[in-house]
Amino acid sequence: MPKILPLFTKALTDSWRSTLAWAVGLSAACMLYLPLYPSIGGSAQMQDLINALPPEMTKALNYDQIASGPGYTQATMFGLIGFLLMSMASIGWGAAAVGGDEESGLLELTLAHSVTRVQVVLERALAIVVRIALLSVLVFLLVLGLNGPSQLGIDVGHLAGAVLLFAALALLSGTAALFAGALSGRKIYGIAAGAAVAVLGYVFNAVGRQSPDVEWLLNLSPYHWAYGNSPVANGADWGAAAGLYGISAVLIVLGATALQRRDVGV
Amino acid sequence: MTQAIVVEGLRKKFGSREVLHGLDFAVEPGSVFGVIGPNGAGKTTTMRCLLDIIRPSAGSISVLGQNPRSAGTALRRRIGYLPGELHLENRTTGRRMLEHFAAISGPVEPKHVNELAERLNLDLDRQTRKLSKGNKQKLGLLQAFMHKPELLVLDEPTSGLDPLVQQVFHAMVREAVDDGATVFLSSHVLSEVQQAADAVAILRDGEIVTVSTVEALRTAAARQLRFNSTGTEAHDVGAVLARVPGIANVAVRELKAEGHAAPTVEASATLSGHVQPLVQELARLNLTDLVLEEPDLEEAVLTLYTAQSPLPGQAPGLGQAPGPGQAPGPGQAPGPGQAPENGQVSGRHAEGAHRA
Repeated sequence: MPKILPLFTKALTDSWRSTLAWAVGLSAACMLYLPLYPSIGGSAQMQDLINALPPEMTKALNYDQIASGPGYTQATMFGLIGFLLMSMASIGWGAAAVGGDEESGLLELTLAHSVTRVQVVLERALAIVVRIALLSVLVFLLVLGLNGPSQLGIDVGHLAGAVLLFAALALLSGTAALFAGALSGRKIYGIAAGAAVAVLGYVFNAVGRQSPDVEWLLNLSPYHWAYGNSPVANGADWGAAAGLYGISAVLIVLGATALQRRDVGV
Repeated sequence: MTQAIVVEGLRKKFGSREVLHGLDFAVEPGSVFGVIGPNGAGKTTTMRCLLDIIRPSAGSISVLGQNPRSAGTALRRRIGYLPGELHLENRTTGRRMLEHFAAISGPVEPKHVNELAERLNLDLDRQTRKLSKGNKQKLGLLQAFMHKPELLVLDEPTSGLDPLVQQVFHAMVREAVDDGATVFLSSHVLSEVQQAADAVAILRDGEIVTVSTVEALRTAAARQLRFNSTGTEAHDVGAVLARVPGIANVAVRELKAEGHAAPTVEASATLSGHVQPLVQELARLNLTDLVLEEPDLEEAVLTLYTAQSPLPGQAPGLGQAPGPGQAPGPGQAPGPGQAPENGQVSGRHAEGAHRA
């Protein structure tokens, strides 16, 4: 029974429940946040409230840009809740792909069959890419659908670019988790590595924007690489997108190499 | 024909702890080779090395004529593997799981899967998380056997199986061997290996204590001997026993005679080695009772687990770790003094085929 990409197909079908759950979460977030724009971001009262907040806080939360529809979408959906949900999904999948599978004892039996370790890592990484793509397309469609009703005024091209970066950012923490899991054989190290990329990226961005003295932190923040120029409003930085996807690809290859070279299940 | 498995100088270190200290053994094609040893002796590590799941620190391994490290997927397609600690996915059925493993191993006839499931009395459509340990083990066996591999590597295959299913398993092993397959299996209990294996390696603390046939082990293992005789003085009985090779732990005492009847001597001893010399010597006595127990292989193996010294009264040829071409097995020219054992191995084999 020769099947094309058997491990990829299996990874995808095995995770349909969690993919669906994250899809529901992202949809809920979109549909709760974005319709509020006319009453929050666009209202003068809300702007007064934001002006009353400490400027450090507004910068950290990207609330300095929520007065415009694209800025609001960037700050709330792509920059905060969507970023959080997607990162969690991606890190979970990345850490489970090899590290979690090995820890639960399942990987040993898979590897005893007619598959290579590189194949295992690549097919499972591909399954993560596809799931992130699915969720990203969903977010794209939802934002597009709410664009008119919620008076967001987002340029479709800019939205597409922003979604591409949104996916790239999630993929980066996912592949970091995959790599650490493949290197260590432990799920928790995968989660730690993925979370570190996501959280530190966010924190470095938030802190780096506070003052010129710590601006250099922005250079270390994948979050800032992706969102530094507010892509929903201004269009994607294609160099940043290429860089983020490039690093993810390297992490996948490193994960495959790491697994190829070590003992499994010890 | 080349050996199915040749392992030479296999060492494995985890960090600074060496768990395999240079194993040498070879497995004849078409034979059943059992490894027994206590938990932690290195059985699982050895098997994982054969499958390239872990990599040796030193030494060489050849499986079906190829190095598992470099042979890749084509070699593993020819192997069926049952891990010692079997973990199965929870959210699936046995059938879906087997379909996946079939997709990543050799070609599998769906009919064969159903046949095996029926023989093992396993419901493939139940959720795996609801299966008992024994039923999970059956599923593990099924995925190892289903693509009719040339080599079966089975780590503690009968663990969790009830005696009836164990018999089915032994029949499956015999059929696989009749079809030309080689079986490499492990256990921590001798009696399980004893039923299935042509040759047995005893592993202790990462070293092979001995490689031998079950029959040779049986010969070497001590039997309890007890008898009563009349008409001979106790010390004469002792002298008779002393002439028998392999006799130890002799205890002789005279029972109090009732009335004027001739005194009865009660003797007990252990015998390791062949029975014939004992029978010849005992024929000189006037026996009223004689008990020669089955050799306690379990006991013999336990001695090997713990003792540094080899088995007392060891049969010739035992205790040497044989290089390639020296491993005992059917179809091999028997070493001196081993002829009967090897004959019995083939005999048992034929009987097995008949029963199957």
